[in-house]
Amino acid sequence: MTVLILTSEEDVTADMVVVHLNASGVPVVRLDPADLTGGVALSGEYVHGAFRGHLWASGRLVGMEGLRSVWVRRPGVPASRVPEPSDWLSEESSQALYGMLRGTDARWMNHPDASHRARHKPWQLRLAQRCGLPVPATLITTFPQAAREFAARFPDLVVKPVSGAHPQEPPRAVPTSRVAPDTDFTAVAFGPTLLQRRVAKRADVRLTAVGERLLAARKVTPPDADPDEVDVRFASAATPWTPVEVPPRVAEGVRDYLRQAELAYGAFDFAEDADGTWWFLECNQSGQFGFVEVETGQPIARTIAEWLAGQEPEAGTACGGGTSGALYR
Amino acid sequence: MQPFALNYARPAAELEVTTPYAYDSGLQLNVLLDGRIAASDHALLRELGTTTSTAGSKTHFDD
Repeated sequence: MTVLILTSEEDVTADMVVVHLNASGVPVVRLDPADLTGGVALSGEYVHGAFRGHLWASGRLVGMEGLRSVWVRRPGVPASRVPEPSDWLSEESSQALYGMLRGTDARWMNHPDASHRARHKPWQLRLAQRCGLPVPATLITTFPQAAREFAARFPDLVVKPVSGAHPQEPPRAVPTSRVAPDTDFTAVAFGPTLLQRRVAKRADVRLTAVGERLLAARKVTPPDADPDEVDVRFASAATPWTPVEVPPRVAEGVRDYLRQAELAYGAFDFAEDADGTWWFLECNQSGQFGFVEVETGQPIARTIAEWLAGQEPEAGTACGGGTSGALYR
Repeated sequence: MQPFALNYARPAAELEVTTPYAYDSGLQLNVLLDGRIAASDHALLRELGTTTSTAGSKTHFDD
């Protein structure tokens, strides 16, 4: 039984998992849907009440009935690297590939439908609330007056993109940024705006969830840190990521979140305040993990490889055990 | 007028880095010039930042 990995060639983070799968003797086929119909080919037939499908990539042929799992890591847009790409061809290729894969019995990390839903940050916030995870007061609005009133109630605010996406024309980054008390909110009318109470954090926490296993790391905010440096991805502080235990109530909430979101993998970001409360910021269903493993030595890649191979982690490992990751098929 | 959030935009950092490894389709791994597997060299990955949360491509904004 083969593990299918959908990602780009330059994804060296995926390599970290492939290394473990190779060491375990688990067959792997790795391909980028962007290479349909060049270096990647597919075929599937529906005859006599049965389905038989095949994928071919770089000299490897695999039957779709022989897939044990599919890891959707960082795949390119299907057929986007052909000599004459088009939206139509990409949609055709996407429907053919993902449509056939959806019909297999393979387990997904993560299923495309669950991934699509899980990318919506407003949905994330509501689900986190329902799962008992503390969420900072948040407003998403196109009403300038609503923004003004919210700022009056919560004077220390940050703003961040609703989608998490960064504009490309021209390429710009929109980090989570502090909003000054005397800010003019008129421009809120020109696009949905996400305002959130700033958590005076003493640390950032990245919790990587793989099936039932939770691996958390903590990055301390230096006492002399610039309070305007809100976004840890863009902060200048050189403090390291270090492993941290997951509080039981957070673990319970995260597992509930994953179950309801039907995710096998999630990278949760929390801000830890002075009282030690972990405030939920977001859950990236395909969040990076390599930088955490490189700094902390936590076995995230190995845990992903074990999940993909169907070797469930032992109950009680890391920060608590639980039921089988096979829930998330 | 531009949306409120774009008042806080900054020029995108240059994410293109020259990586000292190349993809080997036979191994299905990125390999260094000396034949070693790039993913096994954690010091190199840390230096390059290719596994960090800002290393995503334009099509993947999940960090």
